[in-house]
Amino acid sequence: MRHLFLLLILPITLIACSSGRLVGNEEYGTDNARERILRESGRNPRDAGFVIFGTDRSQPDTSAAGPGGVSVNAYLWRATLETLSFMPLASADPAGGVIITDWYSPPSAESERFKAQAYVLGRQLRSDGVRVQVFRQILRNGQWIDQPASTSTNSEMEDRVLARARELRSQITAAR
Amino acid sequence: MRKILLGTTAVVSAAFGAAVMTPAAAQDAPTVRIGGSIQAYYGYINQSGQQASPGNTPGVQFNNTPLSGNQQAQTAFSAITNPIGAAVGVSNGVGVVNVTNVGPTAVANQGGNFARLGKHDIITLPAISVIVSGKSALGFTYGGQVDIGFNQQEGNLSLDGRVFQGRGSAAADEAYLFVAHPRFGQIRAGDEDGVMGGLMNSGFITNFGTGGVYGVWENFQTRQTGNRTQTGAGNLGDNTKIIYMSPQFFGFDFGLSFAPNGGGFGQTGCPSDAATSGCDRAYAFRGATASQVTPAGAIGPIVRRNEYQVALRYRGTFAGVGVAATAGYIGSGNALDMTESGAQRRTFSNLSVYQIGAQLSYLGLTVGANYQVGDFNFLYSPSVRGDRDGQSLNVGASYTAGPITVGANYVNNLWEGGARSSFNSVTGGLTRAVAVAGVGNNLARERRWGLSFGANYRLAPGLDVIAEYVHHSRREQGRDYDAVRAGIQSRVNANVFIVGSRLAF
Repeated sequence: MRHLFLLLILPITLIACSSGRLVGNEEYGTDNARERILRESGRNPRDAGFVIFGTDRSQPDTSAAGPGGVSVNAYLWRATLETLSFMPLASADPAGGVIITDWYSPPSAESERFKAQAYVLGRQLRSDGVRVQVFRQILRNGQWIDQPASTSTNSEMEDRVLARARELRSQITAAR
Repeated sequence: MRKILLGTTAVVSAAFGAAVMTPAAAQDAPTVRIGGSIQAYYGYINQSGQQASPGNTPGVQFNNTPLSGNQQAQTAFSAITNPIGAAVGVSNGVGVVNVTNVGPTAVANQGGNFARLGKHDIITLPAISVIVSGKSALGFTYGGQVDIGFNQQEGNLSLDGRVFQGRGSAAADEAYLFVAHPRFGQIRAGDEDGVMGGLMNSGFITNFGTGGVYGVWENFQTRQTGNRTQTGAGNLGDNTKIIYMSPQFFGFDFGLSFAPNGGGFGQTGCPSDAATSGCDRAYAFRGATASQVTPAGAIGPIVRRNEYQVALRYRGTFAGVGVAATAGYIGSGNALDMTESGAQRRTFSNLSVYQIGAQLSYLGLTVGANYQVGDFNFLYSPSVRGDRDGQSLNVGASYTAGPITVGANYVNNLWEGGARSSFNSVTGGLTRAVAVAGVGNNLARERRWGLSFGANYRLAPGLDVIAEYVHHSRREQGRDYDAVRAGIQSRVNANVFIVGSRLAF
């Protein structure tokens, strides 16, 4: 009887005192034809099939959060940063999806400067998933005076962000 | 004892206290996913016994002589629907010898029906799975799975150990739920393999073709009436159980599983207390001994009780070589025989199987071996007391290079032959059949071995084409596997060549 208790205590002690690793379901054997075929043909069974209820968490590239604390779509976030990278960055909040640049004067027009605020709106890679607002000032009599930016500037910046996001996704998908 | 109990309690409190104090984690709502697989294969089949000899009459061999004692023994096992009659025999004071053509007469040639079978066939194997997964706010992951297959083997497979259906009928296979935690491991409950029945084994190399000797080749085979021919060993099945599998510590993880009864889905085949071998809760019933081995198309053998499995597995890497090894044990109690009036007789040995297996992998090459020994028969059912033990050796190798995988595996099983011990309802004792000169009953062991080669080419993730060859053989010296034909057919074999494709989604 004492040996039986020792046998019971041993694994419990091991569990309680050690930091084990959870063994994934894919590490166990199976005689399920679907799982066997998927495993042997290089596809993760957790990613296959059709989601009929709930959120498909196996596709973080298009819907879920990005790495490093980014809670908005990772492609849109990276694309926005890259698109606005020619301007000095004032602040970036990956949790809220807000990017604010500092004022920037193009070398060819030093009497004019721009500032941009970008909002990545969600986890989905959608055409309406990003908003860019560009502010413009001109130098007059030593004073920076607000001027409206061209109405097409905002939408052009958004288009460039979306195009870059699509490129990033294509590159990563092709690399898999 | 008290200290031990206190110590146990303290350890359990420490372990579970930590869980209680675990900070809330992100919660994921359950995701329900539907997947499945479709397999379609052409097979060229050359097997023994697919060309019956016409002209026989029921109960009489081709040469118009009474059935041999060994054939009588086989016939007795086929008479599961009349378990009392299964023990018919005449005692000679030494053992039971079936010397006359008495007892169940639903003999091997089934009323004189004969057929000759072609060598070509195409089979489809569809299956659907419903998979649920989620994560609780306490950090547990949870989920479940229901598998529905449409590939029943007519006249062969006993679903839930109770009934059998047509080929294309839908039937639930595995169905279980699980809860898992990084600290405590995983608990599964439902119809699922045990830890040594498929979850944690090592050494079985099946990642080529359709699985080689463990693949789909049996779907191309027929069974001869009253005899089980051409098929490989059975397995423990998915009887309803509870399973615990630990986290991995320093490369090691272990598992335990327990099934109170032998049937699937619970409460299987128990319409009343008059139920016999079909009832998975019956711990004693008439004809239990004869239920050890079930003929094709009859009620499945459910004589395992309190089945338990333990497994210890190691996985690691040494100098780039992946190593996996498992040692484990499968045990069970068994049902008692109530055939003798007013008595319950223990006629079975406990199921007792020791298994070790290991596999090595380096780059694309994997080799493995597995060995089992203990008290079991070819259905992994408890053997009758006095029967000889069983052994099983499995070896295999595979190599993967890009989209191509090639491999081979081999299995060699040795266990008690057809002339098993029988229960005498008159004397209440177990008696061994004895050899009878000239009628092919030599009390030999049976050997079943198989060899396979196969290859896959991956067309896309989840889709590949396969080619496979399987040879399988049964042999028992002096035993007649095919009573429809003249003479003693002590060897039967099957050669199957398979090409086809399979898709999983």
